[in-house]
Amino acid sequence: MPAYKLTYFNGRGTAEIVRLVFAAAGIEYEDVRIEKPEEQWPEFKPKTPMGQVPILEVDGTMLCQSNSIARYVAKVAGLAGKTPLDQARVDMIMDGMEDVGKKGNATHWEKDEEKKAEKKKEYEETFLPQFYTCLNKLVGDSGHFVGNELTLADITFFNTTDLVGRYFKLPSMDQFSGLKKVMDHVTSNPGIAKWLKERPETPF
Amino acid sequence: MAPKYKFTYFDVRARGEPTRLLFAAAGVEYEDVRVRRDDWAALKPTMPMGQLPILEVDGVTLCQSMTIARFVARETGMDGKTKLERAQADAFVDELEDLVPKLAMAMIFTTDENEKAEKVKELDKAIAEKLGKCEKLSGPDGHLVGNSMLWCDLVLYNIAYDIEEVYKSGTLQDYPKLAKVYDTVRSDPRIAKWIAERPAGQFNI
Repeated sequence: MPAYKLTYFNGRGTAEIVRLVFAAAGIEYEDVRIEKPEEQWPEFKPKTPMGQVPILEVDGTMLCQSNSIARYVAKVAGLAGKTPLDQARVDMIMDGMEDVGKKGNATHWEKDEEKKAEKKKEYEETFLPQFYTCLNKLVGDSGHFVGNELTLADITFFNTTDLVGRYFKLPSMDQFSGLKKVMDHVTSNPGIAKWLKERPETPF
Repeated sequence: MAPKYKFTYFDVRARGEPTRLLFAAAGVEYEDVRVRRDDWAALKPTMPMGQLPILEVDGVTLCQSMTIARFVARETGMDGKTKLERAQADAFVDELEDLVPKLAMAMIFTTDENEKAEKVKELDKAIAEKLGKCEKLSGPDGHLVGNSMLWCDLVLYNIAYDIEEVYKSGTLQDYPKLAKVYDTVRSDPRIAKWIAERPAGQFNI
């Protein structure tokens, strides 16, 4: 019986980062998906700490908040950065990518058609290229955001880029040689490569 | 000898104040650099992600406000006693930190009257939801997690200060456990001293 039980809806969403960290670390976990949310979610919701998923059950505790869970699993797996300063550098990449995701989300869910078109244009043509340029400068040439090995920062960069790319036009990675190296390192990690091949196709 | 830490933010509380509160609580010296709004445009392109705050330490420039706060909490022993406690503290911060920009927009930075009424409505809803969740999960003795003051308590304190002192006094009455956390933080002697002495800032947020 695995020590970790992750519960989320049947999708990638905010849980996928946790699944990717488990995959990279080769740590077994129960990947529970709420198959019939209309039936099951109203009953389950009050049992969660903040009325949301994902949650991670470990050592008799229920953790919530996707980034906190990802950071915890990364620490257990040694993928969070070796020193406090390195861990902070990993965190800051996570936070930056969180901003990318949030802005994409806000654009995607904008109800006014005209505003949405405007926001989409700004996001794809101005925000993403500018932000990815920043990140490319930060990562340099090593193919890793922090230290010289895979960390949660690299995995988060991959995951957010992957998710955003489903709904928006991403800037071409060819102009960002540093970031391209990070993507290659992440997708060729054996655990992650296996998960990417095997993970289910889901609506989100 | 220059302090080990140099913290640069706008001349407000908002996203930077939890870090300043941590330094105060721990009695750790740092350089508290404040950027006025007019001076920002020139500085922006030199920042790692084009934003403030940043923390300069050991030749590294950190960005992202909660990352910096978590790092300083770790440096000062206020991030949590175990991995699980740290994750629980993180979860509180994740939940609460969205309130900071919502407070700023509703209280100060929206000038159009109709838009402002919308933002206030949104803010009230967010406050009720988020404080409600945190009240349910909070420890009973003036600490959100475990039995010592952690950085999540300071994040809550900072938001609660804006709500109680600037936005809608009396709100915390509905959240007795959070009110206890608020009181525990502000009666800590080093924090009380900082609150009494800190600059008013360019904006009251």
